[in-house]
Amino acid sequence: MTTSSLPRLGTLAVGGILAVTLPFWVGDFYQLHLAALIGVYWVLISGLNLVVGYTGQLSIGHVGLLSIGSYAFAILVGRYGVDPLLTLALAGGLGGLCGFLLGLPSLRLPGFYFAMATMAFALIMAELSLAQGDLTGGGAGLPVPGFAAPFDTPTGFYWLVLLVAALITWMTWNVARLMWGRGLIALRDSEVAAAAVGVPIFRLKLTVFTFSGVTAGIGGALFASLQSYITPETFVFELGLFFFVCIIIGGRGSILGPFVGTVVLTALPEMVAPLAKLGNFFYGLLLLAVVLVVPEGIGHVIKSVMARLQKKGPEPKGLQPDIGRLAAAVRRGMRQDIQRGHAS
Amino acid sequence: MLTVLVSGLAIGALYAATGLAYNIMFSTSKVLSVTTGHICMLGGVFGAYFMLDLGLPAPVALVGAVLVGAAFGLLTEVIAIRRVLARSDEHLWLLSTLALATMVQQAVGLWWGTEPRPFPRLADQDFTAGVLDQKYWLPIAAVVAMALGLEFFYRRTMYGKVFQAVSEDAFAARARGIATDRTRALSFAIAGALGGLAGFAAGQLTFAFFALGLTLTLYGFIALAVGGLGSNVGALVGGVALGLFQTLATYLFGGEYQQTIAVGLLMVVLLVKPEGLFGSKKVRPV
Repeated sequence: MTTSSLPRLGTLAVGGILAVTLPFWVGDFYQLHLAALIGVYWVLISGLNLVVGYTGQLSIGHVGLLSIGSYAFAILVGRYGVDPLLTLALAGGLGGLCGFLLGLPSLRLPGFYFAMATMAFALIMAELSLAQGDLTGGGAGLPVPGFAAPFDTPTGFYWLVLLVAALITWMTWNVARLMWGRGLIALRDSEVAAAAVGVPIFRLKLTVFTFSGVTAGIGGALFASLQSYITPETFVFELGLFFFVCIIIGGRGSILGPFVGTVVLTALPEMVAPLAKLGNFFYGLLLLAVVLVVPEGIGHVIKSVMARLQKKGPEPKGLQPDIGRLAAAVRRGMRQDIQRGHAS
Repeated sequence: MLTVLVSGLAIGALYAATGLAYNIMFSTSKVLSVTTGHICMLGGVFGAYFMLDLGLPAPVALVGAVLVGAAFGLLTEVIAIRRVLARSDEHLWLLSTLALATMVQQAVGLWWGTEPRPFPRLADQDFTAGVLDQKYWLPIAAVVAMALGLEFFYRRTMYGKVFQAVSEDAFAARARGIATDRTRALSFAIAGALGGLAGFAAGQLTFAFFALGLTLTLYGFIALAVGGLGSNVGALVGGVALGLFQTLATYLFGGEYQQTIAVGLLMVVLLVKPEGLFGSKKVRPV
């Protein structure tokens, strides 16, 4: 750990500086918008990563929680004039509450049932946002105001997103590397074994899912502000699938992998026009390829390639056999054998 | 009111058919495929394509739709199931079938268009028949035929008994010399054929619509979970119950809350009776 933490810290610092100074060296506003979009997605995905990547609960319907955060932000700020930053926190709280209420029944269900329940939740949210026209504007949608003074420019908004994303990443990192994360991974790999060593399965799942609801709510508020106009069409089910695919492709049980997945999958269709037309087909193909060829995710592949390049492998144990003692032990054993042979 | 009941029965028959297709695949592979609803969608879309765009007569189009469904079922097994089942990670099949379902849905959306297109009339019948209209009785007749055919297949034929042996205990079946892999592939093809048939029969009710697959995957699953996983009777009862429930709720409260109500039904049943109405209580945690 001590030998590898210095270069890792260096990489982190360089990445951080690049991210903070991005508005100054990026080409145009569109690319800045894209960077902010990646950051907003990452706010949600880093929370979802704890659920999907670490706990192994396949939630494909987080877009429902995202839409809750978005509508909460649009309604509270746009209609009632609540302070945007306060609303950001409120949206997080509301997302957490909804995540808790969704998780309460559905986290008891086994794998496929849970995935279907979250998918149904996303569809229900789309249905409700259409049906509750007086609240959400129905199919016509709602305009969303921006943030107040320091964050009202694209650059300022980007920094706000960066700040929130960094904060949440730090929180998930803390969860992942300490006892909690171990518990989550144990839970993912074998629920029975985890329960047998005293991991409180349901409570752990529910806590993590609620946390992912909080991040989804915050992400939704930022997302709405970035989009500046939201309709039920903004929150199609495929968006939830996209979040899910980012994590699976990046690799389960890591934070860097899903982050790379988010960046690549968000930026790639924007940069390469034909991919944007294929859209979900491309995501499906990518998911299928990853599941069939490298189920551990691309992050795992990169890691193993790096390890092979550095020729490190598992370190040699550096254990020198004590020849004298070994010979003495062998001799003693032989003597006993001979004596036993005489006795019989 | 009678129209409401009959249309509920008809749409419930489609859910039941999807549930049956789930069951056929589940029995041999223990996999709940996300592509199940997309099989029915393909049946409807290709039926309309054969008849409207290619101008084929209805029986030929029916055979074509069934063949497309069977081919897609087989393809699902070959691409998304076979390799994944060889590894022992229980979640991977969900991901691979989800990926395949997404791809198929998007491909059909790009090729066929994202607007629902009308499905042609199959039998000569004018539109004045009301509740006796073919769009209602066709799916009901199809699912009844499917259920009876399956029952006959499982009980009376050698292959059906092989299927049951594999579904009871795949290892024991293998030890007795049954090619379990081939049985599984065949079960996916049969599920595909029946799904294609159901999608074709219900085409006039649902229209030829690319996004139908995901909805049917969800509703078919709800029907199955309510009725009990692995039970064909359960799939029928669950499907019809769900269809009736939905249309009645739409009739009484308006159509905005269809999904909410369906999922509410699922949650209530799962909380009261987690294994479903006709399901077997087989819990084996280790």
